[in-house]
Amino acid sequence: MGALEGLSFGFVNALTAQNLLWALLGTTLGTAIGVLPGIGPALTVAVLLPVTFGLDPVSAFIMFGGIYYGAMYGGSTTSILLNTPGETGAIATAIDGHQMALRGRGAAALTTAALGSFVAGTLATLALALFAPTLASVALEFGPAEYFALVLVAFAAVTALLGASLVRGLFSLFVGLALGLVGIDQLTGEARLSFGIPQLLDGIDVVILVIGLFAVGETLHQAARGAREETAVQLTSFMSMSREDWKRSWKAWLRGTAIGFPLGVLPMGGSVIPTFLSYFAEKRFSAHPEEFGHGAIEGVAGPEAANNASTAGVLVPLLTLGVPSSATAAILLAAFQQYGLQPGPLLFSTRPDLVWTLIASLLIGNVMLLVLNLPLVSIWARVMLLPRPLLFGGVLVLASLGVYSLNRSLLDVGLLYVVGVLGLGMRLVDIPLVPAVLGLVLGPMAEQQFRRAVAISEGDLSVFVTRPISAALVAAALVALVAPLVLKRWRRHE
Amino acid sequence: MLCASLLALAALTPPNARAQPQFDQLRLIAPAAPGGGWDQTARVMQQVLQRESIVTTPVVENVPGAAGTIGLARFVGAERGNGDVLLVSGLIMLGGIVTYDSPVTLADAVPIARLTGEYEALAVPATSPFHTLEDLLAAFRERPESISWGGGSVGGSDQILAGLIAAAVGVEPRRVNYIGFSGGGEALGAVLGGQVSVGVNGLAEFAAQIDAGTLRALAVSSAERLPGVDAPTLRECGVDVAFENWRSVVAPPGITADERARLASTVDAMVRSGEWREMLSRYRWLDRYLAGDEFAAFEAAEERRVRAILNDLGASAASGEARAFDPYATFVLAGLALFGIAAAVAVWRERKSTPARGGTLAWRPLALIGAGAALHVLLAESLGFIIAAALLFWLVARAFDARHPARDLVYALAVAAGSYALFDYALELPLPAGVLGAWL
Repeated sequence: MGALEGLSFGFVNALTAQNLLWALLGTTLGTAIGVLPGIGPALTVAVLLPVTFGLDPVSAFIMFGGIYYGAMYGGSTTSILLNTPGETGAIATAIDGHQMALRGRGAAALTTAALGSFVAGTLATLALALFAPTLASVALEFGPAEYFALVLVAFAAVTALLGASLVRGLFSLFVGLALGLVGIDQLTGEARLSFGIPQLLDGIDVVILVIGLFAVGETLHQAARGAREETAVQLTSFMSMSREDWKRSWKAWLRGTAIGFPLGVLPMGGSVIPTFLSYFAEKRFSAHPEEFGHGAIEGVAGPEAANNASTAGVLVPLLTLGVPSSATAAILLAAFQQYGLQPGPLLFSTRPDLVWTLIASLLIGNVMLLVLNLPLVSIWARVMLLPRPLLFGGVLVLASLGVYSLNRSLLDVGLLYVVGVLGLGMRLVDIPLVPAVLGLVLGPMAEQQFRRAVAISEGDLSVFVTRPISAALVAAALVALVAPLVLKRWRRHE
Repeated sequence: MLCASLLALAALTPPNARAQPQFDQLRLIAPAAPGGGWDQTARVMQQVLQRESIVTTPVVENVPGAAGTIGLARFVGAERGNGDVLLVSGLIMLGGIVTYDSPVTLADAVPIARLTGEYEALAVPATSPFHTLEDLLAAFRERPESISWGGGSVGGSDQILAGLIAAAVGVEPRRVNYIGFSGGGEALGAVLGGQVSVGVNGLAEFAAQIDAGTLRALAVSSAERLPGVDAPTLRECGVDVAFENWRSVVAPPGITADERARLASTVDAMVRSGEWREMLSRYRWLDRYLAGDEFAAFEAAEERRVRAILNDLGASAASGEARAFDPYATFVLAGLALFGIAAAVAVWRERKSTPARGGTLAWRPLALIGAGAALHVLLAESLGFIIAAALLFWLVARAFDARHPARDLVYALAVAAGSYALFDYALELPLPAGVLGAWL
């Protein structure tokens, strides 16, 4: 079945009243869990699996797809309004999104996030329908050497986020790298910096660091400043985006999609690299880079689009190869197996009805999500008007709950508050928070991929420059690192 | 034909399976995150027990971490003497106990039964120069390090099998160039892309690719040739290894003989049900039911085997041969110290030149929040989540504004009770009920 024929078949199948209802249920549920910190689509689908056992697989997957996409929409809401990203994919959004909210432009930020998610989700799903098998075979060319080189590119991009004071930014980065050392070394099985505490053997969950530094740290910081700065946010208007906002957003949506989708296809997983590379690209190529960090709308539009596009990208290796590259994808794979289906090279030919109906309903679900989320924007924006005692009380209760639900461990909740105090301290001396999170995510990745690559090549370090894709990425990282410095010097000479 | 198979099905279902439920509530603890093999086993058990009316409400709880050893430690400690709970365990937990140097072992729990098994397979991409296992082993014997074995995490079943094969063909297991990937997806991607010489993984993980012809199975780890699988066993290739990744259930220590017998008969009723057979074929699990003392003896033998091979592989934390020098960790910690000092100096200089920036901290609100957080963590188990969360909310609210204690209390209770309801009922994530347990 060709892609177009398949898609039209899928639409006919998906547009039944029953399937539309499942899509609506999934997207609503997905949006709701996306808003809650710590609870992601992986957990939700896992909990729902036994319940959906009696369902027709097509209906079940329509619902799961809705949850998966919906969670990515909901994730931006708390980032923008409360500076409390609940998952890693929403951290980049918080940087400028929250600044916009503080300036009374929360509604515009939420709207560009929703529209960007819609544009990216739709384009990426179409790309999935048209090019999935080709893309998957390209992704397999990526081995440990290429992944290491890709992480180098991400590290080079981090330099754009170090902030005004270089030593402070680097200190923050190294805090994250050091936290990344904690736990069992995945290649040798040795314990590092875990101080004999078994709960630390798996390392520090990045969600705890994110919620601790941002949500708890922010609450403590607000409290510590006492009543002195009781400046309630003035909502300039509940109107969403101005003409100017549209003009600045649409290119960022497209760029975000172009960055997010291919990176999502790679079986390395994670939404951190796509979202931050998108943020980096927006800042570097913007006509007004000085606005970044103070509420630049591109800083919301780009990463949000990248996040959703990479979400769709993850489905490429899952459906065509049976390779799950995120926690949610692993659960979806388990769901396929529950129905006796085996995703892989044969799925498109053995169950074309399922695949194409799923793809069609993802497109329909995207429209539903937009219809669902746009009216919510003005309601969400009013969250900023809640009295601060109730707002922050609620934030901490939800933060504790979200972290507890990760591992059902109160030790994790305790760790959350320790990280919160760290976040307060960093805020008080103007140390940026984002590099620490990136350090925790990228550090272990870089180390593992480096050592895997070197083990496979039996100690030959030249693999990073003799393999073409790896060499190109290493070169890109060097350019990203050096070009700004050269440009600056060159301009000074002018 | 149809009638005959229906009759056969009916004969497989013993009369007691549909009898009175043996438990009102039975908790099944999966010592892993949702989605993995242990979680699947627990959730399949949940379905079968419920549908066959063996247990009225089976509940699954996930306690992930450190290859199951966190879940095991908590099970042996907190569940001691509880006769209504089972822990899903298996071969990988034995590996985890060695790798993570766990103070608690499976011997501390009460063995109930082995349930399922999965075979492992060795596979290469269709384009690989290795056409048979002999080809691969010839290259491996000649220069062991030149063969990279890609599989799951260190200390797991895949690495154990690679070590057993090396030992069987006379290569020192320590020389196995094993590349551990976290999660099946990354490992499968690396095998498909030819990034590693050979992949070691569960046969089920490779099945779709082998059927499609993108991967070639060199050997499977079963003792006998498998029907429907076009690959020889390791033994047929002259490698005297038979291996499977088995899963089991155990009970907490300190239960009475009656409680143990009741759990054992519940599991027995489950594995004899038609529903369970259907699940086994659906998930391609082997029926490896083995109960009582035979299972205990099997478990002990497997423990010795796993411990020996992991020590030979040098993969355990307890092997006591930590690298003297860890370049990456040294670099990171040195960088942390260096930039820490530099940042401190920068802050100190700024403070000196522009004094009184930011003013003093308001300590009272911070103390209130700190107290709220500490009480929340300390009391959540004993008093229950609702009271602990309401306390946290109330103290945080007072930190920001102390003028409306009564209003804040109302909101606190509403938010705490609402989130409890959301998690416990809607999302089925049980939270500690504490002293309110009787009413919830």
